[in-house]
Amino acid sequence: MRRLLVLVATLVWLLAGCAPATRVILLPDGPDAKPTAVVVSTDRGSQTIDKPYQSATVNAQGQVDSEQLRARDVRQRYPQLLAAQPPVSRSFTLYFKPGTSELADESAAQLATVLEQATVRDGGEVVITGHTDRVGTVESNDALSLRRAAAIRELVVKRGFDPTRVYAIGRGEREPVVPTADEVDEPKNRRAEVVVR
Amino acid sequence: MMHIRHVSAVSVRLLWGVLCALLLGVGAAMAQAASDTGAPQGDNRQGTFKTVQGEVVVERGGKRVPVSSGAPLMALDRIVTGPRSAASVILRDGTVLALGPDSSVNLAEFRFDPTTQEGNILISMAKGSLRMVSGLIAKLKPEQVKITTPTSVIGVRGTDFIVETHS
Repeated sequence: MRRLLVLVATLVWLLAGCAPATRVILLPDGPDAKPTAVVVSTDRGSQTIDKPYQSATVNAQGQVDSEQLRARDVRQRYPQLLAAQPPVSRSFTLYFKPGTSELADESAAQLATVLEQATVRDGGEVVITGHTDRVGTVESNDALSLRRAAAIRELVVKRGFDPTRVYAIGRGEREPVVPTADEVDEPKNRRAEVVVR
Repeated sequence: MMHIRHVSAVSVRLLWGVLCALLLGVGAAMAQAASDTGAPQGDNRQGTFKTVQGEVVVERGGKRVPVSSGAPLMALDRIVTGPRSAASVILRDGTVLALGPDSSVNLAEFRFDPTTQEGNILISMAKGSLRMVSGLIAKLKPEQVKITTPTSVIGVRGTDFIVETHS
């Protein structure tokens, strides 16, 4: 009995002493992602982890170490945390009738899919980013891109979607699909990217 | 006396008329201003709750507010999850935060300009577990995204990772 008590006490002491104050684990990125890393620093040192499931641990004294974990152990250790991850976002590109903030016919039809997707998600949001070509000044294109995004936002809100979760953003001419010289009329760049998340 | 009362009734009616006109005018001006800016965010939310399981609250200005899916996360909010509880939030720049059970995480700083996609994030974690999949801010300037725990500072290089900490 006494031996058992000593054993339990030793185990508890060991676990308490070993449990790191902070642990950071790098997860693998999606298929399109570049290699990534996390840097963990304290007053006493620093560790960079850059392999999937590599882990940095910091003890109560601020000492930093690293170790390699296995995918299975990480899944078992954080079941609820991992299950809480929301589904990945979906993107749509909508086009406008030339020179207007009015959607082209096939894009108007796509809007129904956007709404459907946004409604089935828990706390679904619709993020609408307007883009322009490079005809006109940066300032006027910022305004035009925002008007285009706002026009789509209106449509989404009119169909009864919660207005606090629909955002209109103007990116102007900063993010062309087809890079061009200034003042070039490029229909592919006159668009709105709609992200449902 | 009667005369005076009559006059005052008329002037009260006039006053109401003027007030209503003013209110209408202010309302119209506000609607105008809102549509000028594309009427984006109805509230000043910095994030939106997605999954909410069990007992999840935000501490905001000294009050504890229970949250559900779709609820806003504001700057300076602290998210607190109970035992067997979990939550996830997407911040305005697309950063995804998930919290496991018994966690306490504070959005200490969040600034994001959606037009230029510049900003910064500082998350201060007291306890529990947190998963972060970084968004647009980290993509453009990873050095602008930091997480602190009582013992460490975590710098992000555009990543998906877990932080676990004990108080």
